Amino acid sequence: MDATIEVRGLSKRYGPTTAVDGLTFTVAPGRVTGFVGPNGAGKSTTMRMIMGLDRPDAGTALVGGRSYRSLRTPLCRLGALLDASAVHPARRARDHLRWLAHANGLPVRRVDEVIELAGLTGAAGRRAGGFSLGMRQRLGIAAALLGDPPVLMFDEPVNGLDPDGIAWMRGLLRSLAGEGRAVLVSSHLMSELEGGADHLVMIGRGRLIADIGVGELLDAASGGRVELRTARRQEAMTVLAHAGATVTAHGTDAVTVAGLDSERIIALLTGAGVTFSGVAAYRASLEEAYMELTRDAVEFQAVTGRVAP
Amino acid sequence: MTAPGPTAVTPYRSTVQDEARDGFGRLLLAEWTKLRTVPRWTLTLLASVALTVLVALLTAAGAQASGTGKGISDPDRVQIHDLGHFTYQPLAGDGAVVARVTSQGGGGAWAKAGLMVRGSADRATPYAALMVTPGHGVRLQTGYKGDGQGGGTGTAPRWLRLVRSGTTVTGFESADGRDWRRVGSVTLDGLPRTALAGLFVAAPNTAKVQRRFGGETVDSAPSDTRATFDHVSVSPAWPGARWRDRGAPGGPADQGTGGSTQEGGTFTLAGSGDIGHDAFADDVTRVTLTGALIGQAAIVAVAVLFMTAEHRRGMVRTTFAASPRRGRVLAAKAVVVGVASLAAGLVAAFGAMLLAAPLLRAGGLAPPPLSDPAVLRAVLGTAALMGVVAVLGLAVAAIVRRSAPAITIVLLLLLLPQIVATGLPLSAARWLERVTPAAGFAVQHTVDRFDRAIGPWAGFGVLCAYAAVAMLVATWLVRRRDAA
Repeated sequence: MDATIEVRGLSKRYGPTTAVDGLTFTVAPGRVTGFVGPNGAGKSTTMRMIMGLDRPDAGTALVGGRSYRSLRTPLCRLGALLDASAVHPARRARDHLRWLAHANGLPVRRVDEVIELAGLTGAAGRRAGGFSLGMRQRLGIAAALLGDPPVLMFDEPVNGLDPDGIAWMRGLLRSLAGEGRAVLVSSHLMSELEGGADHLVMIGRGRLIADIGVGELLDAASGGRVELRTARRQEAMTVLAHAGATVTAHGTDAVTVAGLDSERIIALLTGAGVTFSGVAAYRASLEEAYMELTRDAVEFQAVTGRVAP
Repeated sequence: MTAPGPTAVTPYRSTVQDEARDGFGRLLLAEWTKLRTVPRWTLTLLASVALTVLVALLTAAGAQASGTGKGISDPDRVQIHDLGHFTYQPLAGDGAVVARVTSQGGGGAWAKAGLMVRGSADRATPYAALMVTPGHGVRLQTGYKGDGQGGGTGTAPRWLRLVRSGTTVTGFESADGRDWRRVGSVTLDGLPRTALAGLFVAAPNTAKVQRRFGGETVDSAPSDTRATFDHVSVSPAWPGARWRDRGAPGGPADQGTGGSTQEGGTFTLAGSGDIGHDAFADDVTRVTLTGALIGQAAIVAVAVLFMTAEHRRGMVRTTFAASPRRGRVLAAKAVVVGVASLAAGLVAAFGAMLLAAPLLRAGGLAPPPLSDPAVLRAVLGTAALMGVVAVLGLAVAAIVRRSAPAITIVLLLLLLPQIVATGLPLSAARWLERVTPAAGFAVQHTVDRFDRAIGPWAGFGVLCAYAAVAMLVATWLVRRRDAA
């Protein structure tokens, strides 16, 4: 149980606002878990409670089976990047890492190791105030890796990164999970997690919406649909609809078919003499799957004035 | 919907976990690294030193000895009076002097008439004085201090006897010359084998103090006193000795009124001026260290920022993530900023005293010697004051979490009482300087002045109590609140 985060019935209120409401999920080792929800859904609050920074009104959060505040050298148990700008601007990057290392009695060589790992070698002697947001993110990553922890938690880590940076971050998260670490990455944009996460914990208004593997989610969202291309779209749609399928057109020449498998579609279209190409199982994007899932989520119902039960 | 975790994965274990250590020492090192790596904090600490020393130099440059400049010849004892009138004979070795004070007039409740044994006729020699006073009974005084042993309500006429044995001098009093009561005894270091013994009168000046915001004026005028004695004897008698008179050296008040007459066995002594400490003396040490009032502002700023910088950018989350035991973090911060400020205070206080000395000397004043325990205490106390003020600042900052209110609160607590006090009646001012953190500045006092509100260490203790309470409240809040 060294490399897990277990959240059980976690709740937190700020005055009349319920930020987190009975949240339960587990972050398992060896994979990247995306923590998704719109802004204000309670992701950051949950992360702060996991780290013992905010006091939950109810529930528990355990890191490797222990509450964070009982850890003696927590940097070796959980590394976190919560807010990249939480650095004193007048302090040099290396000094920032140095005091952190001292706080947990970590060997000073770790400072140079994580500086290299985060790609900050050239900037380590500069004051953090002059850093771009991307460099601050790297400094935050370096700080999170200082204790070489089995559990990592990043709050919106690709915010402000350029495409190169995003690719680097994705690779880093993958390799960290590949080493058997548990990695929790929050984002309010599902597209940021596309190709990055193995598992998703989705929340809206502080409540759990889904706790699901990415493959499973995409399968569900794809719903066994088939996509094909044809120059004679109108005819094809008529034929297939007559056979009882639900047909959707998109793009200039593409059709998505639900309710028929690809063999039957090929037989029908060939029989009707409609030419086509590129019959393939349809893959929904993560964004699409997410929109589908959250369509009914409480966060969005609020717009229409209905109150969640 | 919960997906089972992959089973093939071997959970990761930190490669540095076995090297990691926690402990208060590590926290101190971490906080010290934080403090020293923000250049403007280091510069502000240096600024506090510079300000303190600068004020010392300015006040020293403006200081001029008034009057005769006697202080320079007598640097150890500038804050005493050694006046009045003394009529004496030599006393070889052990012996005693006896007399009856038959009447006493003028000079107020602390007018003194009685017997004295002293080392010589020079100023500021060791002495023991047994006296009758109109308002404070029979007293045995020494060391140029007030009060002394004894008390009660005894007034003239009174028999007095002062007995020397080695360096110990013991006083006795009697209403009738037969039943003697011991008043007390004192040890006089450096009393020569042949001392002087005889009769004396003295009386403190009448002083009028006017206080207004920003300062005070003291009008002091000598008051005359007069007393008659009979049954005077010094034993063993010095062969062929005759009575000699000592007026106060250089005492301008003594010229017209002082003197002694002898008629039959009755002596009449008249004099003015006091023997004891000078409650209106300038406290040169305190004035030299007064820059600490300015220097502490910089110290407070550093201590407050050391805490609020954590809150301003959410850095405190990083701090508490690395060290979840928040009370210890706060304690480590207090130790680090306290010791750093103490070190700055040491440099500032010693720097102020050493650099101001030549300027004081040029102005005809005796620089307070660091060999004097009271002066040394004031200097070290000033450094300690800086340390405790820093801890107070840090604690208040941890409570209010914002720089401007924290700095304002702490500086008001420390400075306002001292500013307001000059505009208040003496009793109200004393009260204010006893119960507010400003009491800590009493540790700089080396002269027991008329406006003394609280003893040096007691005052310092009051400040420490404020800092301790603030730390307790801060610890409680920091543990309880969400880190933000």
